[in-house]
Amino acid sequence: MESTDRKPEEQKRLRLVYGDVTLGVYGDDGGRDFHYLFSYAAGGMESLVSGGMEWVYRPPRPCFWRASTDNDRGNGFVLKSGMWLAADQFIRCETIRIAVDGKEIPFPSAPENNKYTGRETASELEIVYIYETITVPSTRVDVSYKINSRGVIQFKVHYHGKEGLPELPVFGMRFLMPTCADGFSYEGLSGETYPDRKAGGIYGIYKVEGLPVTPYLVPQDCGMHMDTSWLEVRRSCSLDNRNQDVRAAALRFQAEKGSSFAFSCLPCTASELENALHQEELPVPRRTVLCICGAVRGVGGIDSWGSDVEPGYRIDAGKDIVYGFFLMPCAGR
Amino acid sequence: MDADIRWLDNPEIFRVNRLPAHSDHEFYINMEELKSGKNSLIQSLNGTWQFRCSPNAMSRPADFFRMDYDASDFEEIPVPCHIEMAGYEKIHYINTMYPWEGHVYRRPAYSLGGTDAGKGMFSEAEYNPVGSYRKEFDLEEGLLGKPVSICFEGAEQALYVWLNGSFVGYAEDSFTPSEFDLTPYLREKGNLLAVEVHKRSTAAFLEDQDFFRFFGIFRNVSLYAKPGMHVEDLWVRPKLHPDGTGSLGAEFRISMDEGISGRMEIILEDGKGERLLKQVLLFQGDCYRGAWFTMKEQELGTVTAWDLLRPYLYQLYIRLYDAEGRLVEVVPYRIGFRRLEIVDKVIRLNGKRLIINGVNRHEWSVEHGRCIGREEMEQDMQILLRNHINAVRTCHYPDQIPWYRLCDEHGICLMAEANLESHGSWQKMGAVEPSWNVPGSLPQWKEAVMDRIKSNFELFKNHPSVLFWSLGNESYAGDVLQAANAWLKERDASRLVHYEGVFQNRDYEDTISDVESRMYASPEEIRDYLEHDPKKPFLLCEYMHNMGNSLGGLGSYMELLEQYEMYQGGFIWDFIDQAVLVKDEKTGRPALRYGGDFDDRPSDYAFSGDGILFADRTEKPAMQEVRFYYGKYR
Repeated sequence: MESTDRKPEEQKRLRLVYGDVTLGVYGDDGGRDFHYLFSYAAGGMESLVSGGMEWVYRPPRPCFWRASTDNDRGNGFVLKSGMWLAADQFIRCETIRIAVDGKEIPFPSAPENNKYTGRETASELEIVYIYETITVPSTRVDVSYKINSRGVIQFKVHYHGKEGLPELPVFGMRFLMPTCADGFSYEGLSGETYPDRKAGGIYGIYKVEGLPVTPYLVPQDCGMHMDTSWLEVRRSCSLDNRNQDVRAAALRFQAEKGSSFAFSCLPCTASELENALHQEELPVPRRTVLCICGAVRGVGGIDSWGSDVEPGYRIDAGKDIVYGFFLMPCAGR
Repeated sequence: MDADIRWLDNPEIFRVNRLPAHSDHEFYINMEELKSGKNSLIQSLNGTWQFRCSPNAMSRPADFFRMDYDASDFEEIPVPCHIEMAGYEKIHYINTMYPWEGHVYRRPAYSLGGTDAGKGMFSEAEYNPVGSYRKEFDLEEGLLGKPVSICFEGAEQALYVWLNGSFVGYAEDSFTPSEFDLTPYLREKGNLLAVEVHKRSTAAFLEDQDFFRFFGIFRNVSLYAKPGMHVEDLWVRPKLHPDGTGSLGAEFRISMDEGISGRMEIILEDGKGERLLKQVLLFQGDCYRGAWFTMKEQELGTVTAWDLLRPYLYQLYIRLYDAEGRLVEVVPYRIGFRRLEIVDKVIRLNGKRLIINGVNRHEWSVEHGRCIGREEMEQDMQILLRNHINAVRTCHYPDQIPWYRLCDEHGICLMAEANLESHGSWQKMGAVEPSWNVPGSLPQWKEAVMDRIKSNFELFKNHPSVLFWSLGNESYAGDVLQAANAWLKERDASRLVHYEGVFQNRDYEDTISDVESRMYASPEEIRDYLEHDPKKPFLLCEYMHNMGNSLGGLGSYMELLEQYEMYQGGFIWDFIDQAVLVKDEKTGRPALRYGGDFDDRPSDYAFSGDGILFADRTEKPAMQEVRFYYGKYR
């Protein structure tokens, strides 16, 4: 029930398109149109278009692997935890749940969706993807997207701890964008930081040009930024064959109030880094690979041939990891 | 005497006609040259030399040193340069294993208790490359009519020298200057210098450093002439007393021509040119061939101390005048007053507890390997200073001389390490297995090791920055290093002796090393030592192995500084990634390569990439952590 004395932007509602394979979401936020597609077949958000710019190349997925560091290899971590490499590559989307304006609806595949018209609206949509890992034993990750009428997506990510699983190298959500970003800005710590190597990081707002890969002699996990309040990724290039140079736009990731996240924003995936023995063996940069992390393992440093990361900086896979953040398109700066 | 190829096999022959090691002081014929830095007594022989590389000694052009030898088939090589980096030999990186692992079976001469003298081990080896170098030169004017010596600042690993067809000398110890007197063989024009460098000799057992294994003339080569009166050696001993006053004693080894009388003036000035001391010593016309003269300790009143990152240097001049009062030679040296001592098992510098915020530094350049120049040293110094690094261990060999001067000038503590590392002889597959090891307690290996220890001391003994003499790295412990320790303690009371390897053999605990030194001990292990009646102050000669993306947990070590007075800090492993810049064979773009990328086997691959700098000298992201903690715990 809408009352007439509401301010115009609060009257805005999402328009939902109950497709057979996807759930489409239209809206606009102060003149900027957005259109999101949540796929049932692809098991995740298949498209996020804002101001004409597509931001999704493949649906965001939980990530369980970082390209092993020299220390990870030297201390045998990879031998204990290598299972997570496979889990990172392949995952089953088990269940999808949808709630409209706070109320769960029957899964809207045909013929259930034959009742809709294409004119349905909502002030809030929540879609939850429940993933099952291929680890032994298996465990679950719930990824919830809650979209408000302005198109802000609130992510809630819940890793279900399971006894018997080896320590994790990282846990987060990996976003794959269609083209390389021009760069990114964030509020957080200077430089590349990890949980056990961040005392020297100075808190501030930083602008990074391009997608630098830290040129370690053997490519390995890099570019982590701890304790981040927000991140904006800037792009000005699309894959749309009609118009590949588009107006610069940005996607903003915002930590929950009083909280922070860790991220890395690179032109290659963990497995691409893992496979390369030299920097020049990395593929030609084509995408943006962004991980928004809820847990990061330390890098260690006592030695590179046996000593583990200090106990406080390991990720116990037997315990739940729950974290969240907001995602919103915004104007490029 | 003729050269003998069998010296390569004999651990008891490591120098023939090599001049005694001495202080690294400069000397000039007058103040004008001193001020301009242009020294007419020195002639550089750096540049393009004739060169031929042979796979072994049997196939080398053995007569190449003769004046009538036809060298028309020789190629060229720059000097200085590693022979591998010039493309004549295979680049090879390997850590603890001896580089011939799996290729040749070797045990060091006498190491298994028998009489096996290692006959032919290197001189008759199928693979032991030889670089034959020829250089023609005319003497420059400033050297004419004077005694002239040649200095090879670094030649790896065994070198034979001939001049104008005559054998001059032989030397091992790759990282120490080797000097020979050329005077008997020299001409004004058309001299032919011939140098033969062998990749391996018995020195290979003592030079098993974890680095790219190179050979060749990789540091400067120069001729130098001695004026008629010459300071051959000096040892100045500035002292800082607890009341803030200083004193200065010194010894000088002087040589001069027959019949010359004259005097020596010793002058000390502070940074503003104010004179603190003038002493005159008269020579009575005797012929001196390296006689020692002593200046008794002189009290100087209050002096400004040389301290870490707050150095203050005084200018010493030694001037030699002939009977007519003409200046014949002037020697400048910058000295510092400081006091290093252990009080209540804590190392104190100038009365304050010493905190080592250090790093291990190999000399390295992506383009030239260990053949670096002044620019790299200056850059490295700026990197140390801006990141609050106050100490450098010269792992695991003496560095080029200008580096020690830079450390004097900028207040960097040096742990000056001798050229010794034999971990392949007692550390196998990561375990301690000393059934054969060198030098151990083998008398046949003792003098070669002692010579390295002594040369390191003699060369750098006047540098205020040197606070520690380090006997070497990972060479186990035995009677030989015990003797080295004793020799240094007897010679030099102003510094401490460091050696980590005694940790592996506690039998020598009381007679080797003034400090308890460890590598890669965890914070818990350090606590354990310090909580259980520790005998010596504790430091980490290597810690925080910064291979790739590492250096996590530095804070846990820094906290120990607050908890234990006897914990005195450590040296991060290490300063710069060692990798080689090549053109990528597919794209033609510059690319960095490491062990195993040159068909070199066995290898330890990227294990040499442990720097807080990338190989191109840009800082790794971990540097901000170093800067933070080293700045916080100054």
